[in-house]
Amino acid sequence: MYALEIRGLGKTFRGKKLRTVEALKGIDLCVEQGEVLGFLGPNGAGKSTTIKCLMGLIRPTVGSATILGRDIASAEARTSVGYLPENPAFYDYLSAEEYLLFVGRAFGMQGDLLSRRCEEVLKQLELWEPRRRLIRTYSKGMVQRVGLAQVLLHDPEVYILDEPMSGLDPIGRALVKEIVLDLKRRGKCVFFSTHITDDVEKVCDRVAVINHGELKVVDRVENILMRGTEGYAVSIAAADGSVEERVVAEAQLQGVISDAVAAGRSILKVEPRRKSMEAFFLDIVGH
Amino acid sequence: MLNIMMVTLKGIFRDRVFQGIMALAVLFLFIPSAASLSMRQVTELSVTLSLSLISFILLLLSVFLGGTSLWRDIERRYSYSVLSLPLRRSSYVLGRFLGLALFMLLTSTVLGLASCAAIAVSSTLYPAERPVVWGFLLLALVYATLKYVLLVAVALLLSTVSTSFFLPIFGTICTYLASGISQQVYEYVHSPAAAQAVSPMLKQAVTVAYYLIPNLAGFDLKLNAIYGVAPNPGGLALTAAYFLTYTAILLGASILVFNRREMK
Ligand SMILES: Nc1ncnc2c1ncn2[C@@H]1O[C@H](COP(=O)(O)OP(=O)(O)O)[C@@H](O)[C@H]1O
Ligand SMILES: [Mg+2]
Repeated sequence: MYALEIRGLGKTFRGKKLRTVEALKGIDLCVEQGEVLGFLGPNGAGKSTTIKCLMGLIRPTVGSATILGRDIASAEARTSVGYLPENPAFYDYLSAEEYLLFVGRAFGMQGDLLSRRCEEVLKQLELWEPRRRLIRTYSKGMVQRVGLAQVLLHDPEVYILDEPMSGLDPIGRALVKEIVLDLKRRGKCVFFSTHITDDVEKVCDRVAVINHGELKVVDRVENILMRGTEGYAVSIAAADGSVEERVVAEAQLQGVISDAVAAGRSILKVEPRRKSMEAFFLDIVGH
Repeated sequence: MLNIMMVTLKGIFRDRVFQGIMALAVLFLFIPSAASLSMRQVTELSVTLSLSLISFILLLLSVFLGGTSLWRDIERRYSYSVLSLPLRRSSYVLGRFLGLALFMLLTSTVLGLASCAAIAVSSTLYPAERPVVWGFLLLALVYATLKYVLLVAVALLLSTVSTSFFLPIFGTICTYLASGISQQVYEYVHSPAAAQAVSPMLKQAVTVAYYLIPNLAGFDLKLNAIYGVAPNPGGLALTAAYFLTYTAILLGASILVFNRREMK
């Protein structure tokens, strides 16, 4: 069973004056359990639209999707999901602690388990001190951390995060990356959207690139990085100790190494020279 | 559902609505002295003033709380974080309604106690010919509360179709005003005097409107409380049944509409 299974998902918004916007044009995508998938696309590509469909906030025009085998049309599909909306807002007349209690109860948690988990996530996200203050007094970064806390609270199997790192300072971004990596270690499925290639390179197993409502590429991150290999940087030490660095194409690599070995020189390192994820992304979205 | 209800109540309290009402309740202190200005029928006037003040406060609450509670969630984008929880939309709408209804009940209880105190003071200072029948006063309060709870359901239904607060707030006010005159208009267009003046089309339109717009006349027991006249039990039962049916239909329609609503 897939953690997420999206089949032919399409969404057409009806705007004013009969104008329509085809925000999603039939997306097919499956995400395995335990997999971290980066949903990469420029602004307006259709990332949030896809995610809102999955969370039952908007209805797809065509197609269907399931979360851990449960149809997204039912509220039950959301029981095993933690969702972080884009630029989230939470009832600001509650404190972080009260909000987490509210969310926990919505997931059917109660009693000791709920208060223990609240304490854990509040401490993990450094919200323990201000937990009794109303959310309306929080900074943007703190609100984002409340968002992450309510995602982690009920320890779901699937995490759907809409631009979790946008608008955060470097410390906040590092924290989010750390959390995603931790979830990966614990075998959870994380599906997160972003327009920043670096985020994908650092934490994802696979990447799905979306542009203009269509999936362009779905592949493993290392495949993409390998595909972009332009050559190898080879460092060779001569007998007199001087180090020579050469950039060689893949076809010549074997020859260069065996020549060097035959000449009694030692290979210090061989590094692939590759296009960055960013260059790859810019290629796909056509810039 | 209970969860949403509690959050709704907390929101109302945190926004200091209740404190505002308590401030308005200070007006009850002036009821005995204001009523004594009339020199005669001081008790009757106290009852009238108290019930009118309570009605007015409940009207404000039902229009503004009822009309803005869904709109605010959508406007401030709370709807994304709340409706993506494993809650049914129906629980959300019902929770909201129950939270608001409970708050109305609480308000009318507190204000009712304040008005009882005011009336008791008036009637001891200026003993009335007819003693106050407290039971009738209580009935009048209960039915006034039901009336405005029904109006909350009207406001919620209008909120589920609208993307702004304009329709819910003004729609609810119009519904309230129309419900006050619908009976007269209906009787007029069906009277022999109007037979010539009113076209059959208009007559039909008025008839349809008459059945659609809530009929709130039966909820008004002010006169019974003022003059100590026993209300007709059959009428009371009918009004209660009317309240339950009409509110259930409004809530059902709200849920149907809100289930289809997209959080864009
Ligand atoms: N409510 C809406 N009405 C009309 N068009 C919309 C609406 N929401 C999004 N769109 C359009 O759908 C496209 C995808 O938007 P979105 O999914 O928000 O992109 P992003 O990838 O930045 O999250 C955009 O072209 C946007 O203009
Ligand atoms: Mg977006």
